[in-house]
Amino acid sequence: MTETPLSSPKRRFLSGLFGGRKGDRISVANPTSIVSVELMVKMGIFFPDAHLDPHKMAELAAAGHEILGFDTIMPEFSVQQEAEALGCLVDWGSPTMMPDAKTHPVKEVEDLTIPDNILEKPSMAVLLRSLEILKRTHGDHVAIVGKVMGPWTISYHLCGVQDFLIWTLTEPEKVKELLRRLKEVSIAFANAQFRAGADAVVIADHATGDLVSPKAYQDFLLPVHQEMNQRIGGPTILHICGNCSDRLRLFVEAGFEGYHFEWQVDAKMAVQVVNREISLIGNISNKEVLFGGTPEDVYRQARYSIEAGVDILAPECAVPLQTPIANLKAIVEAAKEGYGSQIRASR
Amino acid sequence: MTPEEIGRFYKALKNTDLMMVETLIQEYIVKEISPIVILNEGLIGAMGMIGQEFKSGQVWVPEVLLAARNMHRGIDLLEPKLLKNKVPSKGKFLIGTVKGDIHDIGKNLVTMMMAGAGYEVIDLGIDVPRERFIESISKDHPHIVGLSALLTTTMLEMRELIRGIQQTFSNPPKIIVGGAPVTQKFADEIKADGYGEDAVRAVELANQLFSSGENT
Repeated sequence: MTETPLSSPKRRFLSGLFGGRKGDRISVANPTSIVSVELMVKMGIFFPDAHLDPHKMAELAAAGHEILGFDTIMPEFSVQQEAEALGCLVDWGSPTMMPDAKTHPVKEVEDLTIPDNILEKPSMAVLLRSLEILKRTHGDHVAIVGKVMGPWTISYHLCGVQDFLIWTLTEPEKVKELLRRLKEVSIAFANAQFRAGADAVVIADHATGDLVSPKAYQDFLLPVHQEMNQRIGGPTILHICGNCSDRLRLFVEAGFEGYHFEWQVDAKMAVQVVNREISLIGNISNKEVLFGGTPEDVYRQARYSIEAGVDILAPECAVPLQTPIANLKAIVEAAKEGYGSQIRASR
Repeated sequence: MTPEEIGRFYKALKNTDLMMVETLIQEYIVKEISPIVILNEGLIGAMGMIGQEFKSGQVWVPEVLLAARNMHRGIDLLEPKLLKNKVPSKGKFLIGTVKGDIHDIGKNLVTMMMAGAGYEVIDLGIDVPRERFIESISKDHPHIVGLSALLTTTMLEMRELIRGIQQTFSNPPKIIVGGAPVTQKFADEIKADGYGEDAVRAVELANQLFSSGENT
């Protein structure tokens, strides 16, 4: 058997995302933030500056590749870019506190105004500038990943989670209209990120199994996601945290290239259910091992996911800010050991 | 109340139109049914059924939020009558989202379920500093305190708060914790008296702690 040549981080990631040739080892990526306080200290760049300054944002994001050894660089650390551009008052937090929307200005559809120049709003433009910088500095060999919030998540911020969830029962037409209008923001931002240099864009849209039913996803979001995937020009990765074991097939139907999933969803089951029709990216547990465990615990979970046949290894969600660097590096170490015996045999 | 009557309350709590619960409560008030019976057997009984459905995955958070909204409307209508007939509470439960955390959906679900289970709930809200918890414990003497956090950063605040409560009071209330990042292991580490993975479990836990507290 000929030995597989070493691949570049970018090739490895893209191959995994499109379910292609396996190469020398599994790719390790971060569809969501892997910034921790320890990483900020090492780089001398801290939140909230890194949310607001494109150069600091790019430099801190690049540490995910330079220091931790991930194959991707993803510069959006929070979930509030669109919320601020659409009128929420956002507290951009501190080195130990992620940003949060403090106001929820939309109570009726009429309250929603989407500015024509939304992509030029500071919170949106910072990410586009940061992607342009990263494309120049790392775009030749590392996969640059962008991120947008889907219309469901933007609605949580604009309307408040509780009100929005009740409206799914009491005023479903209002919910549909909000989603219809807000998806335009997600589509425009995603396409702008591809123009700025992203190789793939994550769409975070938290219709999580911890809050709503698969039917709610099917009725409200599936058609919206299908349209988004038709109108966004590059590969997309869906991020929905929580236990979504009951709606994996719906994500396949929605037309994403990849689904970024949590440890609560068993990797073996997920691989079987999606049947290679969507790439699976995940699913090392934040609370149990990356934050709460040792590098050995991380290694064990990573090997389980690799053996299960996930396409790309990643933390399950944005890592807690107190996550030790050693635990993040342990994911890459586990990947470097190559595929398990079963997978090698089936290659 | 007969199971059929409780079933009417159950349907009213699940209805998207508030009118159904309003009409039902008025009907029972006119029939001169004790407001305590309407509350405990009708509203709380029906809410308990919905809580069980939530626990077993038959309904989701929007349905629970809707039921809670409807229940609160029912309680508002009963309030003038209830003030005349003092309702015995099962115990006092103090709850808040710890400092630094402004997320309240989990806390609100626990609040609704605890109120639905017959506890007198004192809700301190979100981003509650340590001193306010301590002050409220001194003033209100709750039997059980519930701490909620959604973020891993604020979850660490729970440790300090529990230490503070245990140092301040010679006979501290029982403390239970919950929230997305919290685990049983973490709850044990920070010396909480219990951990609830969801709102229904929080009620079960409170019931257990309350009955064990009564025996001591």
